[in-house]
Amino acid sequence: MRFAMRHWISAAAFVLLAAIAALGPGPLGLKEGIVAPPYSKPNWLDRSTAPSVELHVSSSGDAEETIFWDYSPPLRVSFTGVLDEDGLIRWTRPGGGFILSRTPGEVDLDARDIPFKRALDISPFENMPSVIFPERGEYALSLDGSGDVRMRIEGGRWGILGTDHRGRDIAALFVQGLRVSLIVGVAATLIATLLGMSFGLLSGYAGGFTDAFIMRAADVLLSIPTLPILMVLAGIWGKGLWNLVMILSIFSWMGTARTVRAMTLSLRGASWVEGLRAIGAGRNYILCRHLVPETLPLLLANVALGVPGAILAEAGLSFLGLSDPRLPSWGRMLHDAHTFGAFTSGAWWSILPAGAGISMICLIFLDIGRKLEEMADPRLAAETRHKVIEEAEA
Amino acid sequence: MTAALKRLGGSLIVLAVVLALNFFLFRVMPGDPLTSIVDPRFSPEAKAQLASQWGLDKPLSEQFVVYIREMLSFRFGLSMMTGAPVWDELKKRVPNTVALLLPALVLSASLGLWLGVKAALNRGSAIERVVLLTGAVSFSFPSFFVQILLLMCFAYFWRLFPLSGTTSIPPPSGGMAVLDYIWHLALPLCSLVIMGFGGFALYIRNMMVKALGEDYVLMARARGLPFRRVVWNHAFRSILPPVLTILLLSLPGVVSGAVVTETVFSMNGVGRFLLEATNSHDYPAAGAAFFSLALLTVGCNLLADAVYILVDPRVRREGSRE
Repeated sequence: MRFAMRHWISAAAFVLLAAIAALGPGPLGLKEGIVAPPYSKPNWLDRSTAPSVELHVSSSGDAEETIFWDYSPPLRVSFTGVLDEDGLIRWTRPGGGFILSRTPGEVDLDARDIPFKRALDISPFENMPSVIFPERGEYALSLDGSGDVRMRIEGGRWGILGTDHRGRDIAALFVQGLRVSLIVGVAATLIATLLGMSFGLLSGYAGGFTDAFIMRAADVLLSIPTLPILMVLAGIWGKGLWNLVMILSIFSWMGTARTVRAMTLSLRGASWVEGLRAIGAGRNYILCRHLVPETLPLLLANVALGVPGAILAEAGLSFLGLSDPRLPSWGRMLHDAHTFGAFTSGAWWSILPAGAGISMICLIFLDIGRKLEEMADPRLAAETRHKVIEEAEA
Repeated sequence: MTAALKRLGGSLIVLAVVLALNFFLFRVMPGDPLTSIVDPRFSPEAKAQLASQWGLDKPLSEQFVVYIREMLSFRFGLSMMTGAPVWDELKKRVPNTVALLLPALVLSASLGLWLGVKAALNRGSAIERVVLLTGAVSFSFPSFFVQILLLMCFAYFWRLFPLSGTTSIPPPSGGMAVLDYIWHLALPLCSLVIMGFGGFALYIRNMMVKALGEDYVLMARARGLPFRRVVWNHAFRSILPPVLTILLLSLPGVVSGAVVTETVFSMNGVGRFLLEATNSHDYPAAGAAFFSLALLTVGCNLLADAVYILVDPRVRREGSRE
């Protein structure tokens, strides 16, 4: 069995994505939650926009942090932390500095607060970030005495993928969404395949009324638009992750059941199965020990080929707002981008990663599935080889 | 015409299942409409009155009979949110959905057919590569992602098309109204065709490649028939029934796609009505919307079945023999 370069790439990409999903955003250095202003641009997109950074000074760590500022003033500046009795935080500007705070206790200052402006002798109508960052040059935040203070400077860009409408890091959301997609896609397809295998085996081996009933049910389910039913079920049963898995698997066993039934029908009449029956093998024995293993390779390919459908269905439901809002998924990201005006902000970076992620993972599974199918059913492989020869001759 | 009757029977079974599902999903599952819609501070008498207004105080079997009668006569009752008859709202929306789906289906099927046959005739050409690529794309790209991208490019960056809606507000009058409608329809329609034709083209290419390799095609060529006639009257004629089957199987997906498309483009269709009704737990409205979508599918199915009987001589002959 030869593997094309493409299959190696797919397999490697799958392993990589699975590893990223298993790690989650934390170990990759991505912060969950709100990190920067809404719809911040990615860092690489616009170098002239102010970045979002955090300066941290403490008596146990660095007592002074410097930053070179080459941009227009940031959108917001805020300070959090603790100052002890003898503590004092100082801000050094190119033209000379001033003391930001010397009040002991908890520090929670925002540059928009009027008392904070008053304390610094700044007019309440003045934009404080432009007082803190008046021009380009070297700035420093320093701590005298003891304390622990963080200064948050919020500019218009963040991380490698920017932020969404709430100021969450899109790269972190992307990783979390990958996890949800993989879990839902694989779990729903596995359950659906198990259901399909059981129904298919039952239908093919039992025949008669059972067969007619199951196949008729499959036909009916195949000719009803399922998305409306999924929507209604998600609305009634709740929107949790595992609810989605259950809902998706109930409505995607039909294809597998048909395939397995066809296989079982052809196998049931085979002479070796007849032989088994002649030497007294029971129905369950034949089913479990011979027919199930016979269908397994094809089922494996079926799982891989079914995952894209489940992932697309999950993304579709989340896009329609029928998923748990606390659970970041790719469909949810697109839902948010669509609902909360990513267009009118021109924030294309909040749309592309999620959509590209879905498409990429579906392409990977399709590619792996095709290869597995070829391996399970060499006739298909022979057909493709035939095509290759034809093309070489032409 | 047993074959036709058999297919008609199949569609009736589908319709019956839809009706039953529709009823039991909304009534038997947890989440009683009365507790989820009505303010819990209502007095028991007020609740009882509302229950009798919606017929919820009768036994389930009686409710079912009433429900079937109402559904089949298109009296869908009153919306729980607005109190207006659901049918009045649906009547306005069904044409919009049909105007979106029917052209989309026809265009993507014909484009797919043409490209698929072209690709099968020119193996290894650029057209074949395009067909293989769009086929893969249509199986792996979420339709709403493509639609959002289209919106972003053609409605936001280059303001060629409107961002949302079915008509301008206020709608223009006279001949402009039609143009305005088409202008609003263009982008959703294009997106559905883009997402739809790849799959058809791929199927048709695969079947056509097989058909062109058959002996009867070789025989026809040997008889000296013109190439074009061999392709269309012999090879293509023989794959027409399976092509129709594929078309038939894709119908539920197309109708499901209407929900997403109408949501992305904020169109006044049945799909978005269903979404809104589901989100606001408006059960009569959601049930009616689901029923009309299913009816649309069954209707298209029947249409495709009729064409199938016309196209497949085996089915016709089997019928006439009996």
